[in-house]
Amino acid sequence: MFALRRWWTRHALTTGMVALAISSAWVLRANDGALLYEAYHWVTRPLQPGMSREQQFENSYILELQQRIVELENQNQALQDLSAYENTLPEDGVRAAVIGRGADHWWQHIVLNRGSRQGVAPGHVVTAPGGLVGRVVAVSPNTSRALLVSDPTSRVGAKVSRSRVMGVVRGQSNNRVVMEFFEKLPDAKAGDVVVTSSYSRLYPRDVPIGRIESLDLTKSPAPEATIQLSSPLPILEWVVIHPFEPLESVDIPTLPTAEDQLTPGEARP
Amino acid sequence: MTPVIRTTSRLPLFKRPWLINSVVTVASVLFCLLLLPTRLPGMELLGVAPHWLLIWVVAWSVKRSQWQAAIAGLVLGLLQDAMTSPHPTHTLSLIVVGVLTARLQKQRYLQEDIVSVALIVFAMAVVAETVLALQISVDQLLVADSLYPPLNKIWLYHQQVALSSAILSSLWAPALYYPLNRWWDRYATES
Repeated sequence: MFALRRWWTRHALTTGMVALAISSAWVLRANDGALLYEAYHWVTRPLQPGMSREQQFENSYILELQQRIVELENQNQALQDLSAYENTLPEDGVRAAVIGRGADHWWQHIVLNRGSRQGVAPGHVVTAPGGLVGRVVAVSPNTSRALLVSDPTSRVGAKVSRSRVMGVVRGQSNNRVVMEFFEKLPDAKAGDVVVTSSYSRLYPRDVPIGRIESLDLTKSPAPEATIQLSSPLPILEWVVIHPFEPLESVDIPTLPTAEDQLTPGEARP
Repeated sequence: MTPVIRTTSRLPLFKRPWLINSVVTVASVLFCLLLLPTRLPGMELLGVAPHWLLIWVVAWSVKRSQWQAAIAGLVLGLLQDAMTSPHPTHTLSLIVVGVLTARLQKQRYLQEDIVSVALIVFAMAVVAETVLALQISVDQLLVADSLYPPLNKIWLYHQQVALSSAILSSLWAPALYYPLNRWWDRYATES
């Protein structure tokens, strides 16, 4: 008995540790090492993939489809805008996409994807939602090249819609245009709408061009107004080409219409 | 000398070096022409794109004689006239660029590496736009009913165009110069 007690006092700790080890091992074995796998799960957590591969692929596919829908909605919106714009026009034209810009720095051209096969000819007028864009200067069977109104060589006979003051709209190369008035003291102010006049030989009358941004009445030889174009020329994607017969020969006089013969005072509402 | 000629003449037509070389040269010009109306992202500064034909003319003229350079300038100028407007003509500016580049290399002021080519392109882009602006100014001064704006506006616009075109063209110059020059060097050693 004494011997047993002495053994116990000497080996109690060891025995306890061994018993604990064996019993805990037994417990682990009894529930199939669930605790071990839980621990493994926690340790390897940073290395595990967040989602299964299939889920990931599925998710990215759904994202792609959603983004495609957004793009289609945007395209649809742009085409609906153009279609609504087309419906407001008295004559039908050819719808064309802008596929290129000027092949040079000094000319402001756009290249369109409709040409002589679709009935486009030089002299036809190009407009976009917003108003005048330019006119066709060259065609190939499937493309055409249009000179923008912002080109320095472009001249458009124009009038201020409110007061019927006449002038010439000239390009300034950097998507800005100016209007030179014929009169010394034109009745025009910032915000006035500018449209093509019936004196214009190259463009049909009453096509909107833009609004007057600022006026410089001291400019010599003629007072000048800076015009903000209403069609966004640098970011154009779609345009409409209208058939138009320009009056190239200067000999035929263009007769002013009754509307243009009104004096400014009468034309005002 | 004679055996070389015999071996080349025995080759089928589509394998002869002069034919392959001209096909590659023409294809590179066509590639440049098709790049002109595009405005890819990164290739545009204030609405101005790199002047690809000018880069091509410089790459061609760096190691060639003045006459070859002038002819290349004439041909490419006519092609650009075809794509834009023949008045004023681009031939003059590209001929001047070609001849100047050919003369520059003769005097060996600069080494033939990519950086110096970018520098040449920068200077030549300014020269080309200046020649065009001069033509427009002469037209404005001499022709009675000229369509062009007054002189101060021409030269103000010239500053913008020349600077943006020079920066963009010189940055993109190695992209065209390097492969073309490699090809021409290889062709020269083979033949």
